Amino acid sequence: MKLSSFKRGRRQLLASAVGLPLLAQTEGKPLVFPGKDAMLVHNDFPEDLEAPAGSLDTFLTPVERFFVRQHLPRPRVDLAQWRLTLRGMVSRPAALTLDDLAKLAQHKLPATLECAGNGRGYFRPRVPGLQWTKGAVSTAEWAGPRLADLLERAGLDAKATFATFDGADTGAGQTPDFVRSIPMRKCLHPDTILALTMNGKPIPAIHGSPARLIVPGWDGASWVKWVTSITAVPESDKGFFFATAYKYPKRPVAPGGAARPEDLETIEAMPVKSIFTSPGGGTAANPARFRPGSVPLAGLAWSGENRIVRVEVSADGGARWLDATLGKEDFRYAWRLWRHEWTPPGAGYYTLCARATDSAGRTQPIEAPWNPSGYLWNGIERIGALVKA
Amino acid sequence: MRAILVLSFVLAAQAADSALIAKGAAEERKSCVGCHSLRISSTQRLSRAGWERELDKMVRWGAKIADREALLAYLLDKYGETVPPAPLPLSSPGAR
Repeated sequence: MKLSSFKRGRRQLLASAVGLPLLAQTEGKPLVFPGKDAMLVHNDFPEDLEAPAGSLDTFLTPVERFFVRQHLPRPRVDLAQWRLTLRGMVSRPAALTLDDLAKLAQHKLPATLECAGNGRGYFRPRVPGLQWTKGAVSTAEWAGPRLADLLERAGLDAKATFATFDGADTGAGQTPDFVRSIPMRKCLHPDTILALTMNGKPIPAIHGSPARLIVPGWDGASWVKWVTSITAVPESDKGFFFATAYKYPKRPVAPGGAARPEDLETIEAMPVKSIFTSPGGGTAANPARFRPGSVPLAGLAWSGENRIVRVEVSADGGARWLDATLGKEDFRYAWRLWRHEWTPPGAGYYTLCARATDSAGRTQPIEAPWNPSGYLWNGIERIGALVKA
Repeated sequence: MRAILVLSFVLAAQAADSALIAKGAAEERKSCVGCHSLRISSTQRLSRAGWERELDKMVRWGAKIADREALLAYLLDKYGETVPPAPLPLSSPGAR
């Protein structure tokens, strides 16, 4: 969707009205984001906010701590004017209001959302892009009509192979619009929904109000925000954010090397992964510090479209592994909490590790495969811990 | 005498570099902030080839860069691959 004035952010409108660069309005100002707790700030305009790992200690992430990734400045959406357009290879094109969507059968599910670039900051050599560490991941309970119901209502042509999604966000200049295509097999899956609520409340503006696509188990880029149109099409979108970005090489690439364009594939389901949330981190130079005695270790594990069946913890850099206790919340597409009571054998320096195994038998690599855009980091986490009497 | 000449040459070269880098800082403020704040550049640590690719992409997306040489010198000096990364800032809690 191209720019229309009501969709432009207030900041953008002000800046263009008075001819000022946007920097003048962000530099030197305190970093505060309404509705958000303390977040690690990768960028303040547009907002790219990482959740500190220690704050991700609940099954459902409160909106206040939920990470944020904006490709383009956040649009200002007038809910009264907002319409969802269904078009393309459909026999009954439609423009639905928010009330129309709310009257349809609502499907609710918890699902973990992870940015494809979560952990990019760990790749060496470094690659361009947001240098996320652990916290570009969060979980919410989403509810809204099933995408399959919407497409069926519009009279979907069985020959359509993708649906293409556009949101109200637009970029300045020639910045490409953020448009994504999803294969019809995933669109028609009963767990793929157009969410109107997040943790039981209307989706906040920063997370895609009033309607956000939920593509359970798939990378965050698939979860289009501020959705305004769904177009049934015979082939996927040719724009930058689908045809170029979010691609992963199907053949391993040497660190620092280049992938052949014909080897690049669109990222879909996310890999198996686990992180520590307690302690949230620790390095040799700045280890997590403990007193002798029992130490409660905790964390999260998830695996795209699969369930987590096992998490193991090691306190000796991976020589010996012990099963962690898994949390009671066990849903496909959502992370699983884990905990382990560790009793260090004595004072000293320890390397804590965690690794998850999913219902398909996949487990984590020691090091995630390097790739030119730094996607899908799922290497086994290592935390330096110092026990001192 | 020769040592003084060499020293003068080195100092003059450094002053020229500093002037170019300062011009690059001004260029960044002028050409990048139309679309995003500068914080996103400050978190990158890229080689010359890496920054060249980023600038090419931004030009394709509509950035008007008047002094590319200065901007590149500035980005490499401040955010080159050998510069240690700074810790990310933590925001203050916002109103709910």
